[in-house]
Amino acid sequence: MNRAPLIFLGIFFAIAFSWTGIVLTNHLGYAKLQPVFNEDEGKAFPQRLPGEAIRGKEVYRDLGCVYCHTQQVRHAGYGVDLERGWGERGSVARDYIHEKRVYLGTMRTGPDLRNVGARFAGEGGRDWHIQHFYDAQITSKGSIMPNYRFLFETRPIVGEPSPKAVQSKLPPQYQPPAGHEIVLTQRGEDLIAYLLALKDGPLGPDETSRLYVPKEEPKKEASQPEAAK
Amino acid sequence: MSATLTASLNPASSPDVAQRAELSAIDASTKAPALYFLGSSVLWLIVGTVFALIASFKMHSPTFLGDIEWLTFGRARTLHLNAVIYGWSVNASFAVALWLMARLSRAELRHAGLLLIAAIFWNVGVTVGMVGIAIGHSTSIEWLEFPAYATPILFFAYAFVGAWAVATFRFGRSKHIYVSQWYLLAALFWFPSLYGVAQVMLVFEPTRGTVQALVNWWFAHNVLGLWFTPIGLAAIYYFLPKVLGKPINSYYLSVLGFWSLAIFYNWAGVHHLIGGPVPVWVQTAGIAASFMMVVPVIVTGLNQHLTLVGSASALKYSPTLRFIVFGGVNYTLTSLAGSLMSMRSWAEITHFTHYTVGHAHHGMYAFFTMVMFGSIYYILPRILLKEWPSAKLISLHFWATAIGITIYVVGLSLGGILQGIATNMTHGPDASIIPYLSNADVKGIIEITLPYLQVRSYSGVLITIGHLAFAVNFVWMLVQPRPVGATAPTLFRPAPDLEAAR
Amino acid sequence: MPEWFLYFVALPMAMLIVASAVYGLYWASKKGQLQDLEEGAKVIFDDEEPIGRPTDQTLHQTKPAPKSGPRF
Ligand code: HEC
Repeated sequence: MNRAPLIFLGIFFAIAFSWTGIVLTNHLGYAKLQPVFNEDEGKAFPQRLPGEAIRGKEVYRDLGCVYCHTQQVRHAGYGVDLERGWGERGSVARDYIHEKRVYLGTMRTGPDLRNVGARFAGEGGRDWHIQHFYDAQITSKGSIMPNYRFLFETRPIVGEPSPKAVQSKLPPQYQPPAGHEIVLTQRGEDLIAYLLALKDGPLGPDETSRLYVPKEEPKKEASQPEAAK
Repeated sequence: MSATLTASLNPASSPDVAQRAELSAIDASTKAPALYFLGSSVLWLIVGTVFALIASFKMHSPTFLGDIEWLTFGRARTLHLNAVIYGWSVNASFAVALWLMARLSRAELRHAGLLLIAAIFWNVGVTVGMVGIAIGHSTSIEWLEFPAYATPILFFAYAFVGAWAVATFRFGRSKHIYVSQWYLLAALFWFPSLYGVAQVMLVFEPTRGTVQALVNWWFAHNVLGLWFTPIGLAAIYYFLPKVLGKPINSYYLSVLGFWSLAIFYNWAGVHHLIGGPVPVWVQTAGIAASFMMVVPVIVTGLNQHLTLVGSASALKYSPTLRFIVFGGVNYTLTSLAGSLMSMRSWAEITHFTHYTVGHAHHGMYAFFTMVMFGSIYYILPRILLKEWPSAKLISLHFWATAIGITIYVVGLSLGGILQGIATNMTHGPDASIIPYLSNADVKGIIEITLPYLQVRSYSGVLITIGHLAFAVNFVWMLVQPRPVGATAPTLFRPAPDLEAAR
Repeated sequence: MPEWFLYFVALPMAMLIVASAVYGLYWASKKGQLQDLEEGAKVIFDDEEPIGRPTDQTLHQTKPAPKSGPRF
């Protein structure tokens, strides 16, 4: 009895079905996702990353940060991402449409980084990252995040000390030998630029990030302020 | 074609002699490629184990080898995964699949020398990919980290293997298609489909936004379910009855198991994205499919159990059976755990934690790798016509890996659950229930998980010991001289003095 | 994902697929493709390695196994 054609048909059918359902329909469905202009900010969101940050994302990729950090905030009512301050709202599909590569991640050995640019911003944020990459123990005692000292260069001072030297930001025990200075490599600069730029913008007008909350829950919350009145 | 071959091989008129000549001719025809694939798989197993240990130690002692860029955690972990998946597991599954296919189709592997090209290309591809990751070209897409320049080589090699296996099936003399062949044929077709689509839609021409995540998990979960699982099950469905000398309990159940796996597993991968920024309906479909996976799993587990019942004493004598039964039991356990993990409320805790890592090893190691070990213990003597040199080393291999992986899975699952609870208990009414887990900040969560990460390293050491025992036995077997006059696998005791399993 | 998609595209599609699967099964059974399934279980045995003969005693080889009790 030759069942081979029947078996083959079934085998083909099984995978074609899931590909159509999971991949193709969504691939088509996503075509309608567009940036949304926000009146308050005067900009369209999501925003594109600046060039330096895009290069930084390559560093993020090549060092495998994704194996310890996610870039997706779970919605209110599912997990406590918002309470932990990892974002002001859950992430939605539109947030990612400009990204050539999406690093959602599946592991949270460290905190979610989707909005790390909001937590560490400006010059202070940059200094924090410098310390953290040089030795995570400086900023976070007991951390198991590895050091990334190869993103720095310790070099002899030739002529004038570089204005970009960073050793002044590091505690005493990390100071280089006399006549040397520590500078960030270009990759280090880029990576920090990326982290400083990581931040989701406001939601679109008819968008909700509360996708997973049971229907009645919004009502409950809506009634709370009334009860307080 | 095949008729002349057979005729030349069995000049004797006695059907008994003819049969013997047939089986050993088939085994012999697979020798060159199978040996090459197995040899390289063992090599990659050791390489992968070394990276595993490095990554595991780094996780709780981040300064260990801390300043070497190419060994930074993100790369060491990736090197480990790719070495054990594409190096060890795929190489081993190629050997096992080709050998099984030849035996089940009752056809010699023809022009097997050409398959060596495939074997060489596959291993060159894996090496190129590994070096690429080490120097920073990883894609950071889970399970697809090999840089784009490595994949065409792999694809080329795969095309050979797939074509050969299918041709062997096509030219086979067997009238029936045994259930193992169903699984093999399906796997051979599914893998290139998955890999091709994933490469195109993720690496070469990435799709838009989080569709990438959907493609990623459609691939990564399916490569487990539609490549490794079918090959592992094909091996179990062959070796379990073969070693025991009694047919599988219910052939009907095995067929049912096959089709339900084909339908449901395909959809299950999306459960890796529960709560993520992808459409809810796909997540729901993924959850439903994951739940339906209970059907093939229970069916398969039951069938294996019913086959083994009454013959369990054979576990004492047969290394193949030990590994395969260990693997089979863990297939059931890990799949049921997987279905559970897809529940939204359970995923809320365990998602993003070490629990997932434990689960991945439960499937890839406690099930698949153990089954491959068992298969190799059966296949190698039959293509080399000599017996394993040391039963003690086999025993050491079994106990070290079995105990090691059990500690690993139990430890990480526990650690992951605690990590998940601690992460989810910031404040509020839950917080007071388990004071030790509540209100933990990031540092507190690390403190809670640290002991389990250390346990993982210790179990890793145990597993490494097992692998070394295996590798030593393997090499020893290759170099040990063949007993004089061995032309057929006669060195296997024909009439065992243990009670014949019925 | 709009709700209409669920009712007017996804659901009919799923029903169609289930229906075609059911039809496939019906066709297969009518053509006798599902007969003597249980026979399939025996194809891996032959005269050389018949039913009733275990084929792997590696651990038994180096040292004769005691008749009872575990060895390891
Ligand atoms: C071994 C896992 C691991 C890897 C790999 C890793 N991290 Fe971390 N990361 C952690 C842990 C644990 C913490 C929390 C403790 C701390 O602040 O160090 C953390 C914290 C952080 C923080 C601070 C977040 C906050 O809100 O406090 C940033 C930023 C960060 N990591 C960026 C990175 C980048 C960029 C990379 C890749 C170059 C990376 N991490 C790789 C484990 C890791």
